[in-house]
Amino acid sequence: MGIQGLTKLLGDHAPASMKEGDIKNFFGRKVAIDASMSIYQFLIAVRQDGSQLTNEEGETTSHLMGMFYRTIRMVENGIKPVYVFDGKPPEMKSGELAKRKEKRDEAQKELEKAEDAGDEENVDKFSRRLVKVTKEHNEECKTLLRLMGIPYVDAPCEAEAQCAALVKAGKVYATGTEDMDSLTFGSSVVLRHLTFSEARKMPIREYNLGKILADLEMSQDEFIDLCILLGCDYCESIRGIGPKRAIELIKQYRSIEKILEHLDKKKYTIPENWMFKEARRLFQEPEVADAEQVELKWNDPDEQGLVDFMVTEKNFSEDRIRNGAKKLLKAKQGTMQGRMDSFFSIVSTSKTTKRKAEDPKSAQKKKGKPNFKKAK
Amino acid sequence: MFEARLVQGSLWKKLLDSIKDLLNEAIFDCSSTGITLQAMDSSHVSLVSISMNSDGFDTYRCDRNLSMGIHLPSLSKIMKCAGNDDIITMKATDDADTVSLVFESPNNEKVSDYEMKLIDLDTEHLGIPETEYSCVVKMPSAEFQRICRDLSQLGDSVVIACTKEGVKFSASGELGTGNIKLCQSASTDKEEESVVVDMNEAVCLTFALRYLNFFAKATPLSTQVQLSMSKDVPLVVEYKISELGFLRFYLAPKIEDNDGDN
Repeated sequence: MGIQGLTKLLGDHAPASMKEGDIKNFFGRKVAIDASMSIYQFLIAVRQDGSQLTNEEGETTSHLMGMFYRTIRMVENGIKPVYVFDGKPPEMKSGELAKRKEKRDEAQKELEKAEDAGDEENVDKFSRRLVKVTKEHNEECKTLLRLMGIPYVDAPCEAEAQCAALVKAGKVYATGTEDMDSLTFGSSVVLRHLTFSEARKMPIREYNLGKILADLEMSQDEFIDLCILLGCDYCESIRGIGPKRAIELIKQYRSIEKILEHLDKKKYTIPENWMFKEARRLFQEPEVADAEQVELKWNDPDEQGLVDFMVTEKNFSEDRIRNGAKKLLKAKQGTMQGRMDSFFSIVSTSKTTKRKAEDPKSAQKKKGKPNFKKAK
Repeated sequence: MFEARLVQGSLWKKLLDSIKDLLNEAIFDCSSTGITLQAMDSSHVSLVSISMNSDGFDTYRCDRNLSMGIHLPSLSKIMKCAGNDDIITMKATDDADTVSLVFESPNNEKVSDYEMKLIDLDTEHLGIPETEYSCVVKMPSAEFQRICRDLSQLGDSVVIACTKEGVKFSASGELGTGNIKLCQSASTDKEEESVVVDMNEAVCLTFALRYLNFFAKATPLSTQVQLSMSKDVPLVVEYKISELGFLRFYLAPKIEDNDGDN
C-alpha cells in the first residue's frame, strides 16, 4: 500500500517536513479523510476477543463502531471531517490488486489450516489478513455519516487523488490518511494517525509537501518519479534499487527516462513493458471530480435516525448512541474558535542564529530538557 | 557581542511570568534597536509580541543581529534566582550557544552569574498589519484581571460589547449569566484608575476566557491595560513595560460557524 519506504526516507532526508502535534491543535481545520483506508483500519482494529463486532444477525459492525466514535472524537476537537470514498480502481492497479488477492487466498488457506490445528494465535493473525472492505461496508458507513451530518464525497477513482484535489482547491486544509501516496498525488498537507483510537495516545503527524520538496531539492514531478522508483501501487519498480539509490539517481538525473539512459542494464533488470510513464500520468492527472463543484456542508445529527439505524438495526447501545449524537450537536452549536493564522499571514520563518551541526538525537534531547551549568 | 543591562531587573521576572504559561519556547531577536519576540501558542489561537527598546535599558549593546532560541520555563527558573531589586544583565557572544545572566544586588555585595543553553528553533513569523481599531479601551489592569477571573466562573467565553457609554463584558453558562459594565470615567484625576473608551464604531466580539486569563498574568507589569478591537479581527491586549516598550497579546475571536445549513 502506498509508497514503499517513503516514511523512512523522509525521516532521513527531510526531517523538518514532519511535525507532531496534539489533535487539539487542528481545531477549525477541515480535513478530507480517505474513507476506505479508515474503514479497513476499523475492521482490523475494532475487535473483541479477536473477532469483529457483529449484530444479532452476525453482520459485522466494527466499521460502524469505528466510524461513529472516531468521527465524534475529531468533531469534539473542532475538526470538520469530510470522508472520501474510493470509486473504481484504476486499471493500472490491477497488478497490485491481483497480488493482494493472491495474498488473501494464501491467508485463507493458512487460516483453514490453523483452524484445523486449533492454533488460535494464527487463526487471529490470518483472519485479520482476510479483511476486505466490501460495498456493503461502504454503503453502511455512508448511511451513518448522513445521519451524523458529516459530508462525504464519492471519488470517481482513487480516494487519495480526490483528497489531494480538495486540498489543492483549498476546500480542505489537509488529507487524513495513513497512505503516503497522497503526497505523491500532490496533497500539500497530510495528517496521519487522525482516526486512531484515543487510547493509543498517538500524536498527529503532519507532513508538509512544500517542505519535503524544498528539503529534497526536487520538483513535484521529480518527487513523483522518486516515488515510482521506491515502489507504488501502479507499476513495478527496478529490482535492486532501494531508497538510498533511488534518491541518488533522481538527484543526479532528474527523471526516470534519463536514469534509464545511464543505468547499467547488466546490473539492474528493468521490468518488461515498464509502465512508469502511465503511472506518472496517473499521479499527475488522476481522474477526479472537480473539487470546485464539491459543496461541503456539516449538518446537525439526526438523533432519532441514528437510534433507528445503529440501535434497532445494528444492536448498539441506545445510551451510547444518544450520547454521541448529543456530543455532535454540542460541537456543532455555538461559535467556533478562530485561528491566528487565518487572520495574519506567515511572512517569514525565523531561525536561531547559531545552528550547530549535531546529530538529531542529541539535539532532541537538548530541546526536551536543557541542563544548566552554573558558571564559576 | 550582545549585552543588555536593566537596573529594574524585576521587569524581566514579570515579563517571563506573563508569557510562560502561553509559550514554551521562543526566539528573542536582538538588534541594535532593541529586543523583540513574536510567537504563537501551540494551538495557534493567540500570539505574543514583545518589543523592548534599546533606549529603555541602562546599557545596551548589540553588534550583530542575534536570534536566541530560549526554552522559557528554563529562563524563568533562572530568573527566579534573581532578587526583586537586583540589576539584571543579559550577555551573549555573536556565535554563542549559551546566554549568560548576571544578577547584582543593589549594594553590590552579591553577584551571581548563570549560563543557560540556547536551543535551535524554527518559527513562523506572522505579518501583523498596522490597523486602525474601531474601539480602544484603556482600563486598570487589575480590573481586567478580576473581570476575566469572575466571568470564567460562568462560562468559557466572554462577549465584549463596546459602545459610546462604556464597555460590557458578558458570559453565560449552565448556571446562569453574568454582565459587567464599565462606564467611561467622568474625571481623569488618577490616570491609573480611569476607564477611557475611544470609539469610532460599536463592536461586539466573543473571546475564549481561558486565553484572557493567561494574558491577565501580565497585570503586575503595568497598572493600565489597553484593549483594541475591530469586527472580525483579533483582539489586542497591550501592557506597557515601563519605559522599555510593550507586551502585546493577540487573540483570535470566536466566529460563527457558517459551513452548515442553519
